[in-house]
Parts: sequence; structure tokens; C-alpha cells
Amino acid sequence: MPASCGPSFVRRFVLLVALLGAVAPARLAAQGYHLRLDTRAQAVSYRGVALDSVPARDTVSGPGGGPATTDGFAVRCAGAEYCTFFRPGPVLRGGPLVTDADLTVWGLGVAGLSLHASGRAGYQIGDAGAWPGLGPALQLLEAYADYSTPRWTARLGRQSMASRLGWSGFDGARLTLRNPASGLALGAYGGWGLARGVALPVTSPALNPLDDFQPRQRQRVIGVVAGWAARRFDVSAIYHREVDPRSDYFVSERAGADLTLRPARGWALTGGADYDFALGLWGSAEASLGYAAPGGRAAAMIAARRYRPHFDLWTIWGAFSPVPYREVSASLAVAPVPKLRLRASGERYRFDAADAATPLVASVDHGWRAELAATWTPSGAWTLDYGYHAAFGAGASTRGFEAAARYAPAPRLALAVQAATLDRPLEFRYDESVVRLLGADLEYRPTERLAVTVGAARYAEDRRRPDVAALDWNQTQLHARAVLLLGRGADLRGLPPAVRRMPGGGGER
Amino acid sequence: MSVARGVAPLAAALIALALARAARGQTPGAAFDHARHRRVVPTCATCHAGAAQPDASLWPDPASCAVCHDGAIRRRLAWQPPAAARRSNLRFTHARHAAAATRRAARDTTQRPSSCLDCHTDLGAPAVVRRAAVGRCLSCHGVQVRHLSAPDSACATCHLSLAEARALTREDVARFPAPDRHKEAGFLARGGHGAAAGPAAASCATCHSRDFCLGCHVDAPEQPAIQALPSDPRSLAIAVRLAAPPSHAQPSFATRHGGAVGRDAGACATCHTRESCVACHTTPPRVAAHLASGGPGRSAGAVVSRHPPPSHVGGFADRHAGQASAAAGSCAGCHARADCLACHRPQGGRGAGYHPAGFLARHPAAAYSREISCSDCHNTAGFCAACHATAGLTARRALGSGYHDATPFFIAGHGAAARRSLETCVGCHAERDCLACHSALGGRRFNPHGPGFDAERLKRRNPEVCTACHGTSIP
Repeated sequence: MPASCGPSFVRRFVLLVALLGAVAPARLAAQGYHLRLDTRAQAVSYRGVALDSVPARDTVSGPGGGPATTDGFAVRCAGAEYCTFFRPGPVLRGGPLVTDADLTVWGLGVAGLSLHASGRAGYQIGDAGAWPGLGPALQLLEAYADYSTPRWTARLGRQSMASRLGWSGFDGARLTLRNPASGLALGAYGGWGLARGVALPVTSPALNPLDDFQPRQRQRVIGVVAGWAARRFDVSAIYHREVDPRSDYFVSERAGADLTLRPARGWALTGGADYDFALGLWGSAEASLGYAAPGGRAAAMIAARRYRPHFDLWTIWGAFSPVPYREVSASLAVAPVPKLRLRASGERYRFDAADAATPLVASVDHGWRAELAATWTPSGAWTLDYGYHAAFGAGASTRGFEAAARYAPAPRLALAVQAATLDRPLEFRYDESVVRLLGADLEYRPTERLAVTVGAARYAEDRRRPDVAALDWNQTQLHARAVLLLGRGADLRGLPPAVRRMPGGGGER
Repeated sequence: MSVARGVAPLAAALIALALARAARGQTPGAAFDHARHRRVVPTCATCHAGAAQPDASLWPDPASCAVCHDGAIRRRLAWQPPAAARRSNLRFTHARHAAAATRRAARDTTQRPSSCLDCHTDLGAPAVVRRAAVGRCLSCHGVQVRHLSAPDSACATCHLSLAEARALTREDVARFPAPDRHKEAGFLARGGHGAAAGPAAASCATCHSRDFCLGCHVDAPEQPAIQALPSDPRSLAIAVRLAAPPSHAQPSFATRHGGAVGRDAGACATCHTRESCVACHTTPPRVAAHLASGGPGRSAGAVVSRHPPPSHVGGFADRHAGQASAAAGSCAGCHARADCLACHRPQGGRGAGYHPAGFLARHPAAAYSREISCSDCHNTAGFCAACHATAGLTARRALGSGYHDATPFFIAGHGAAARRSLETCVGCHAERDCLACHSALGGRRFNPHGPGFDAERLKRRNPEVCTACHGTSIP
């Protein structure tokens, strides 16, 4: 049984159901529900690498001057008796099949009470582990009961929460009090934490591929949130701590604040920062000033950002003193004519001093990114996108073109094709290569409640490496998706088209 | 007797009409020389029996033509009557119409009895029999304008409702001509067709049914005139497009429509559901309560298009965290929770979603410099390290395995790179790889602590971290 569905979780879930049964009168005939099933399947094939070694005495001088095997693979010896190198690995073929189910139930006889559950079932067809993120086979993303009144909200069960400190999850309870007239809100939460970036406890075997410092017990989570939403501004603050129940030592202790100001129509000033009490260091911070002209004819933004990674204290990585980088960026989007929209953005960043001597290795400590793009909608049925992006920086660089065309001859039918070319020289490796992508998708929505998508993509790589290890990373992907909505309610029609067009606004719904 | 007296001339005219068609081309609509045959056929009903007897055919019997057209007296004819009755939505039958005309003549002695020729000839050319002209119908029924300009109340006089005209096909309905009134400015407005639909609902039903109204009206269940119409999907053959009123084109409408809504929310309720409000408004305004919620029996209504908030400029998806945490409630006005989970709990089987198509090929650059925080959505161990391990990108001991092969002696100078992107390093390396050199308990004992490291603070918070390298002898 996966850890996410372990005995302790089952006990809590049964307790939750019993509690709901106690508070909800038997008027289930009035129930409303909304069930969304989203199934995706992919067929992928690609080739990795395989570590190999050769006695140092059997190496020869390679094309770059360094040691190489007699058949041309550059090797790393580092004074050892054996030198190591990577050969092309076997071709891996996988078929991830994943179904997500989102269920909301309301009308339980108590006004304001609703149940929410989000689960996932994943199955790998083909080579085991050929595609990440599929384990365990059953995952419970969220499952909670929500009771809301105008002045307070209580939530009990597995839930996730967006905050300054990221998107975190826990099994527990959350209470939020608010004053609708003033916009003030105060909340507290507590429970057993989930790992970062996934709906699994840190004890899950699925999160331990390298078998190192994995906790044996889930961390206890407690936090406090305060916010004030007004016409001209929104402000919020959070304090969050996680404790190892085995030792009562901190796993994480952080605080953060966010502010959004709307000084005038179309203008928005946002900013935020967080502080790591455990390490005594400021974490990430950012500030931005944006303007959008009425009617959407133009939008611009300038921003500054500081990013420092956060590591929980059950790893040793925080003690290795990761340094932050600081970035300034700007973006501009204009629509010179109604059917054409042009976008440009650029960023420049520089890492703080690492204070690590590099007598033999020179690596850059700064970088930049830029992007130019255009979207042309010659008619209601056609949308054409074209873009160029480039990034240069420490570790890796890329540059390439992207083009996409979407044709929707009917409201329920759309065909999209995309093509891209990419140069990606990587620092620290002989790995300069060119990747070309060609893909197509067909979307069909036979009814308001059913949407089907099928597509294919082909990645073809030309690896420009001076030795014979220029193995390709060619890849073919086929995918299919079906989304089925069941239940009652006007929202079964899906989000309004305007919302679907918003960045990250659920365009796949 | 009076009925027979009225029918006889009518039948005579009809038979003349049919014979004229037969003579010209033996097809309905072709000219038939009724005048020439008048000498051999005394009355219209002789050939057009159906004009006098409801259960008889209106078409001549070919056998009666063959009496003369036998190949000896006259050449043979290949004409055959149509197999099916003509598809029509006319309310007219010859028998009933003739009876009504006769009754009218009986009441009004100044009126002469109607004859077939009254309808089937043009004025001034009584000998040329033709299909009944609509103008003759209108003039007799007191309509003094041309057909499509007739008053809204007049359609049902001659025409069956669409639901009654079962023989008509969708194609027939699609070819219905639009009355002139429909082209008048303001016809689609509130005081236009809506005001006319009440007293003239029967006329509307000539061409339309409830399905047609549902194409635009979200308030259909609340409109008696619409509910009075029968349902008939053939009415959808007439294309209709919901057009915004002129007021909606004003530049300031988006920001100033609240006043108009407050004055008369009912005007909005024709085209807008409650979902129109929440498409833009974070908190549904009070007037939303006056609007119906979308659902079966209603049109989807006007689709509200909105401009993203000022913050949603290019790349906002990469930087939305601040605003989302400052006022999560404002996001909920437009975004469902599943939208958040789609990216923040990405599933392994998905194709391109948050990341653009082809991102997999360029993720090394984005990940190394943390263009965005990967760990907000991906667990480093469960996603990055797992995939790298499958692809063979797994360190089995300290640096030196050959992967960082572009830089000679990378191991001697990896410190700066590691501190700049430690999250990338742990995508392939486990703690043991680093402890081979950086542990105080053995190996080369290189100190990994860098600028700003507060050993005392860390020791207070969690000394177990220190024991990983220092054992129990934490300095």
C-alpha cells in the first residue's frame, strides 16, 4: 500500500467521514456533485546513457587533448586507476497512463458545507520508470471537508495551500476568520506535512530514488496567516514551521510577506520576501511594477527578483551555503493592430559571490534571457504564433525559434501544429546540440462535457560533440487525453473563454 | 347547392391550369394551355377533382388525358402527376376556402361567388391560368402591402406554424424569406421583436420555435412568449447570431456598465447569465442575483470577454505567486482550484501544459539558473532525480564519473557552480557523493560552509544536520 494511503491516513479519512456523517442531516437527496475525470496517455521512447569504465592505461589522447577510450569516448580519470565515461544507454519505451478525478459534493443539508476530493491513478506501460512522476499508483492530492460562512471557514482533511513560501500540502485542519467589511482575515493551520512539490509524505519510497537522508516520520506542520484585502492593496503575511516529531527539532521555520498595490487604474505594484529562521538568511524576494492600458492594447512590466533555494533541514544541503542570484527584468506587450500582438521580454541576473576557489575551472556567474514573440489572429479560426528565445548563463545556454498555428474551423474542433528549433550548448559538458521539434494536436469537444485531444511530437537531436559519444536524444511522443465532466451545475460548461485565454488559466480544460 | 355553385368555376380554372402545364412540358409549373383545352374540358374540377373533393387528387388523371392523347387523335403524353404532395406550410385547402367564400357571398349580396379564376389568373388576363399569386391572397384578406411587409399579426392567417407544418424540411426552413420588419433598426433590441412577440406570437411561430429563441435568450424560461412556442429543432436552420447592443461598443463600457446594470438589471438578463458577472468580478456584484444562472433550457448567452488584470502581463504565470498569496481570494474569482493543481501537482502523463511544447529539450538551462522555482511544482527527488536516474544520469560516488567532461579538472573547481545551483546538483547527486570529500569525519574534510553560514543557529535549530558530517563531536 502506498504511503499516501497508509493505515494512519485511512484512519483519519474514516474519522473524517464519520464526522461528516454526524454533522450532516440525512437530506442527501438535495446533494449536488461535480465530477471531472481527466485521463491522459502517452507513448514515449528515448535513449539515456550508461556509465562505463576503462583502465587508465588503456586510454588514448582524444580529439580535445584529454584522455579517451580507443573507440573514441572522452573519459574522466582524475588520477584513478580506472577512468569513467558514458556510453549510449538502451532505448527506453514507456507509456504513462494517468487518470485524475476531481469531485466536489455540496447540498449536504448544512448550508456552506461541501466535500472536495482530488485523486490520481497512474500506470506505467512499458519499461519501468521510463517516465517520472507516476508513482505511487494511487495518490490522493486533496480530500477535505469545507464549511464556510461569511465570517469564517473551516477546512479539515488533506489540503494544499498557496502562500509566499510556495504551494504546500498537509493533512490537518485550517481555520480562517475574516471581517468582510474591512477585508481583514486571520487564519491558522496545523497537521502532518507533505513533501514539497508533490502530494506525498516525505516518508514515501517514491521520493527516495537515491536512498539517502530520508526522514522516517512525517513532519508536524503549524502556521499562521494574516491578510488584508482592500480596494487599493492586498497584503498578507505567513509564519510556517515544520518539526520532526521524532526529535522535536526544526525541519523548517520560515516567514514571508506579500504586498500588492493598485495606485491607479491599470497600475499594479507587487512585492514580497521571505526569511529563513533556521539558517538566519533572507530567502527569495521580488518586486514588480506593471501597467496595462485600457482595452488591452499595451502592457508593460519591470521587475527585480532575488532567488535563493530553500532546503529542509532533514537534508544537509543548506549547510553547503547555496548563494542567491539577483535579477532585473522587463516585459512589453503591444497590439499595434487588433489582430496582432507583439511581446518582448528580457532578464539579466548575477549570482552573489560564492566564495569558492576555482583555480582550475572558470565558470560564469551571470546570465541573461530574452524572448520576442508575435501572435497573429487573421480570422476567428486561425491563430499563428511565432517566437524567438535565447538564454545565456551559468551551466547551460539555449536559443531557438518556435512557431505554432492553430486552426479552429468549428467551436468544438481545433487543430494545432508546432515546430521549434533549439541550440543548447551546455557548460561543463561536451554537449552542444541542436534539437528540432515537430508536433501536432487535434482537439475535439463533441459535447460540453467531453473533450478529447490526440497528438504527436518528434524531437530530433544533432549532438555536436567531438568524440563518439555524440549519441542522439531523439524522442517520439504520442499522447491522448479525454476530459469528462459529470454532475450538475452551470460550471460544467467550463471556464469562460476569456479565462481560458489567460496565462496559465487552465487552457486545457 | 351553393357550395357546388362556388366550386364549379374554381374547378374549371384549376383544370385549365393543369392542362396548360401538361401541354407545355408535362411538369408542374410549366405552362399548360388551359384556354385551348377549355373547349374539351368544361370545368376545372373535371381534371382537378381535388379542388372540389378533399380526398381526391388535385392533379389530372393521365388516363383522362389519354382519351384524346392516344397516339391516333393526338400524340401520346408521358406526363405523370407528382408522387407526393408539395411541401408547404400553407393553411389553405380548396374545399374550406371555397366554403368560406360561399358563406361570405351569402352574407354579403354585393359579393359575387368566388371562382377558380379569381385566384388563378392575373388581373386583366383571365384566360392565362396560373398558380395562385400571393398578391391575390393578400388583397382578398385585406392586406394592402406586399407579402413580406405584411403586419406581424397577418402571417398566421395563411400559414401554419412551423410545428404544424411537419412536411417541411430543415432546408425548406432555411430558405424562409425574412420579413422586412426583421431588417429594421432596433428589431433585435428590447422594444423590437420582444414587444411584437407578445400579441403576434402565432405569427412568430410560422417560422420560429422555442429552440430558435434559446439561441440567444438566457431568460427564456421567464419569457411567456417564448414558453408559448412549441419546440422544434428545425427552427435552428435559420441562423441567428447574438450581437452586442451599440452601448457595449463604447470604450468605457467595461468600466462604467455598473450604473446601467444598477438602473435596469432586467435589460442585461436577456443575454447574460450570472456567470457573465463572475467571469470578471472577484466577488459577484449584488445585481448578479437578478440574473439567472446558466443551465438547461437557457442559452449560454453572451460570452463575456475580459482583459486580464494589469498584473497578468507576459510571463505572469511565472511570477503569480506573490499576488496569489497576497490575495488568494481574487484568483478564485476566475480560476478554479483544479487550475492550480494542474500545474502545482503535475501528473506524469501530461504533455505540454504550463511549460511550452519542447520545454523538455531546453529545461537544463532553465533549471540550472532557476528561471522559475522548479520545486514549487516538482519534487526534486521524486521527479528530477528519478528521471535522471532512469536516463543514466546518476552519480554513484564522488565527482569524476565523466559527466562533467567539457571542463578539465572540474572536480577541483566545482564549488562555485555547486553553490550557484545546488538544486541542479541534487538532481543527480545524493548527499553521500558530497560527503566523500566534505565530511569532517573522513575523506578530504573540505569545509562546505560558505558565506553567511551561521553554525550556532543551525545547531540550535536542528543539530542532527550537523551530525551528518561532524558526528557527535559538533564543534
